[in-house]
Amino acid sequence: MEKIRIGIYWAASCGGCDVSLLEIDEQILDVAAKADFVLWPCATDTKYADLRAYKDGSIDIVLFNGAIRTEENREIAKLLRDKAKHLVAYGSCAQMGGVIGLANLSSRKEIFTTLFGAKTHWPKEESIQDGYPLHLPAFLDRLLPLGDVVEVDYVIPGCPPPREMVSQFFDALLGGKLPEKGAVFAAEKNLCDECPRERREERITRIVRPHEIESDPEICLLDQGIICMGPATRGGCGAACPMANMPCTGCAGPTANITDQGATMLNTIASLIGTGLEGEEELEAEEAILAEIDDVIGTFYRFSLAASIFKGAQRE
Amino acid sequence: MAKLNDNGFEPKIVAFLCRWCSYAGADLAGVSRMTYPANIIPMRVNCSGRVDAGMVMAAFEKGADGVLIGGCHPGDCHYVNGNYKTRRRVILLKRALAEVGVKPQRLHLEWISASEGVKFQRTVTEFTGLIKELGPSPMSGDGED
Ligand code: SF4
Ligand code: SF4
Ligand code: SF4
Ligand code: FES
Repeated sequence: MEKIRIGIYWAASCGGCDVSLLEIDEQILDVAAKADFVLWPCATDTKYADLRAYKDGSIDIVLFNGAIRTEENREIAKLLRDKAKHLVAYGSCAQMGGVIGLANLSSRKEIFTTLFGAKTHWPKEESIQDGYPLHLPAFLDRLLPLGDVVEVDYVIPGCPPPREMVSQFFDALLGGKLPEKGAVFAAEKNLCDECPRERREERITRIVRPHEIESDPEICLLDQGIICMGPATRGGCGAACPMANMPCTGCAGPTANITDQGATMLNTIASLIGTGLEGEEELEAEEAILAEIDDVIGTFYRFSLAASIFKGAQRE
Repeated sequence: MAKLNDNGFEPKIVAFLCRWCSYAGADLAGVSRMTYPANIIPMRVNCSGRVDAGMVMAAFEKGADGVLIGGCHPGDCHYVNGNYKTRRRVILLKRALAEVGVKPQRLHLEWISASEGVKFQRTVTEFTGLIKELGPSPMSGDGED
């Protein structure tokens, strides 16, 4: 039987997604038996020239992790789109910008000034180093999710994708049973649906961080005043974080019927805050509770800012 | 409150108005032949509580320079607490807007009853004046906050 040709690529990535592929335990043997890795910069040495030499559509599937931060990321994303029959956004960064999408709160200028100081110290796109010309890819004004640059066929969400989802994907791939385009390898329902904690839908009168209280492991974290993104987040990880006494921060992205993960969570929190007495005189108390969230965007858009309605800061 | 300043900029203002109160208030202002700036694009909603964060963001994304939400006075919401929910959303939304570099004053919530045509007129006039002073929204493409 002909082997499945798999490509793995990292763009603006932390490397965690590449490592997560190894978490599928012995299933990796099955993958190795049935597939060839024709591109995997993290593990093998492939030059872009080799990649360009591949015929269009000659790679069966490319797992693309990391976001689009530089001109190089964009160029390779387009190249891989041509070379691949199926392109998968692998991980939060590729799917929706991920944690590093929060950099969109700062302009390119602010980022470079923080990193390199005065403009004279900024790296130049074209320079001579030790007598040789050096070209550095341009740094884009805004970080983009993969889907903003090319068409994406499938999504494997997560930061990094949890074993369950990766495993589910390889089962489908190796079994020749890839779903219809557009599929997300995770649950259809939200995280709360698979979370074993008891949800009492209590009103939140105090917002706390996980380390500030000794939380009850049986009861919903939101009920205890800890902001948990479960209601606005796609299930599939088995509620890994709430099971470990930590709130969900939303890495699997929104469920299919949600357009803006942060907006949905903002609505949810706004509905739950307060003593329940409501009334004009409660305004101050409500403001005080909400003031405990000291980073609204970072809390509600931890992974999804670059794919949100805002996309990032509105100035240059 | 902001005076009308004539810098030639005509802002687009989306007004989400509860049908039970503010929308009726706008109607009253209309039939009473009160004049108010033509900058507002009224959107009738069943309750101010229906205006979720995504709708406000989408209005800005689609080019609104300001967003006004009109709801029933405390205690008068036909769905008991829709107006209070929106009030809390507005607190968070203003902070989210500020964090992405949009002036939070571009979002305004006001309680306007069906009989308050005058208050409707005053609110719209003042808010339009304020947005004129702020200039175009950075989210509409040409402004900078
Ligand atoms: S999704 Fe998470 S693990 Fe994967 S590259 Fe981005 S930050 Fe790293
Ligand atoms: S909000 Fe979090 S802790 Fe509560 S049920 Fe949902 S996932 Fe579980
Ligand atoms: S609980 Fe939330 S943050 Fe944690 S792995 Fe699951 S989706 Fe990601
Ligand atoms: S019915 Fe008017 S604000 Fe709820």
